[in-house]
Amino acid sequence: MNIRFETLALATVLIPEGRLDFGAAVGFQRQVEEVLAGAGSASAAVIIDCSALDYVSSAGLRVFLLATRAAQRAGISFALCALTPAVREVFDLSGFSRIISVHADRATAVAQAPQTPHE
Amino acid sequence: MRLGATVQESRGSAQDRAQRDRESRLPISVVAARRATQAATAPVRGLAELLLLRPGPYARVFENLILALIVLSVASIGVEAIPGLPAWATRALRVEEMAVVAVFSLEYLLRIVAARGKLAFIFSFHGLVDLLAIAPFYLAGVDARWLRVLRLLRLLRVLKLQTHILEATVAERTRELADKNAALEQAQAQIKAELDVARALQLAILPATFPAKPGCDGAARMIPATTMGGDFYDFIELSDGQIGLAIADVAGKGVPAAFFMAVARTNLRDLAARHADPGACLAQTNELLCAQNPMDLFVTVFYCVFDPRTGVLRYANAGHNPPYVRRADGSIEMLGGAGGVALGVMPGGVFPDHTVRLLPGDRLVLYTDGVTEAFNAADEAYGTQRLLAEVQAHGDGTAAALIERICRSVTSFAGTAPQSDDITLTVLTRQAP
Repeated sequence: MNIRFETLALATVLIPEGRLDFGAAVGFQRQVEEVLAGAGSASAAVIIDCSALDYVSSAGLRVFLLATRAAQRAGISFALCALTPAVREVFDLSGFSRIISVHADRATAVAQAPQTPHE
Repeated sequence: MRLGATVQESRGSAQDRAQRDRESRLPISVVAARRATQAATAPVRGLAELLLLRPGPYARVFENLILALIVLSVASIGVEAIPGLPAWATRALRVEEMAVVAVFSLEYLLRIVAARGKLAFIFSFHGLVDLLAIAPFYLAGVDARWLRVLRLLRLLRVLKLQTHILEATVAERTRELADKNAALEQAQAQIKAELDVARALQLAILPATFPAKPGCDGAARMIPATTMGGDFYDFIELSDGQIGLAIADVAGKGVPAAFFMAVARTNLRDLAARHADPGACLAQTNELLCAQNPMDLFVTVFYCVFDPRTGVLRYANAGHNPPYVRRADGSIEMLGGAGGVALGVMPGGVFPDHTVRLLPGDRLVLYTDGVTEAFNAADEAYGTQRLLAEVQAHGDGTAAALIERICRSVTSFAGTAPQSDDITLTVLTRQAP
């Protein structure tokens, strides 16, 4: 799995591409943790753009869960956006779309993020 | 065996023939000289093999002898420099020098013979140092004016010492590495053996047979993935004649998932006996799992309570793939009510109960995503459609037979691609009373 990064004015956007399965989960988790650790000073929000994510296994869901918790502890806004139908189904079936904030597209996710940089 | 031998013989004779052909073009004297050289070098090659190449007592003694002579010769260069040395001492030093050079020359010769690439050795650092260590002795006879300079050159024998020490260090490191590798391999074998035991235990705690009850037939199967997984199923005989059925999938893989699976299954089984409603049973299991979840793992669970007398199936779903009901007429329904949060994620979860009635001939199919997300070599998933096609095509036969058919279909679809996730299936058929 490949991960691209984009830094906006008030948000860091991660764009994972391909399949987030058990094998890819550990590497992805490390990347997300790094971004969250750096986000405290750099930007107010971390957004994961899932438009290029084809598949998420339960191990992948766990990374999103851990990231949500870590962001809450650190007071960083964290959200997912632009889920493909297959990934959306996994989130809906597992109930994760009820506990992780998911937006329809990136524009909405950015608009929902806090408008002032995090202290 | 016979054929192989024949081929080898014919290849051997072909080589001989080629050799003869090449030699037939050469003058007889050259051939004879080459043959003679080969015959003469054979014992030298044997000696090189014994003293340099093959590790053993001879090689060790030879190596130590060389080291001792290097030290001795460097020391005697120092002694030589002392002015007014008595004549007997000078003679002794001369004899010692000759002996040293003789052994070094032998060593140099043997190293050339033993080397795979002879020129490469001669021009290597090691080869040049060896040559410079003995060259002054031979050249001294040619022109005495160079004697003083050449004698100084003998000090280069210190470099010889360095190459020997380097070699010894490399050999030592290689040995250490080999030892460490062996220890690592042993540790790995032990871990693998323990994992195999753990996996066998994991399979053993799953019920092997469905409770024998009139009016229903059930079966289940779990095919563990290559790494330890966290799927499980369960049949629980409840006190009022009903049967609890569960299928579950723990997030991730490996030992943590397997542990979490064991804890989840034990809690669920325990609570199933105390809570008549599936939703309440899941909610209580969730509280217990959340209270003891240091790794932030979670498990999706579908749990239902089936009454074989009435065919009523009450169920609740905590984040699991919705099961399917195949009606006797071949139609297929997905059991709604999915979307409950997986267990272990957060306390306070509510799991509403739903009800469906199975009529005689109807069957319930529970599965984990190891079935639908079995990938083939072309990276395509088995998918729900293929699963449903199998379910629809096989309305008759036992529950076990349907599971067997689905498993065969999945494995033949996946082909040579490795099984990345546990494959778990449970089928319940209501029979005419």
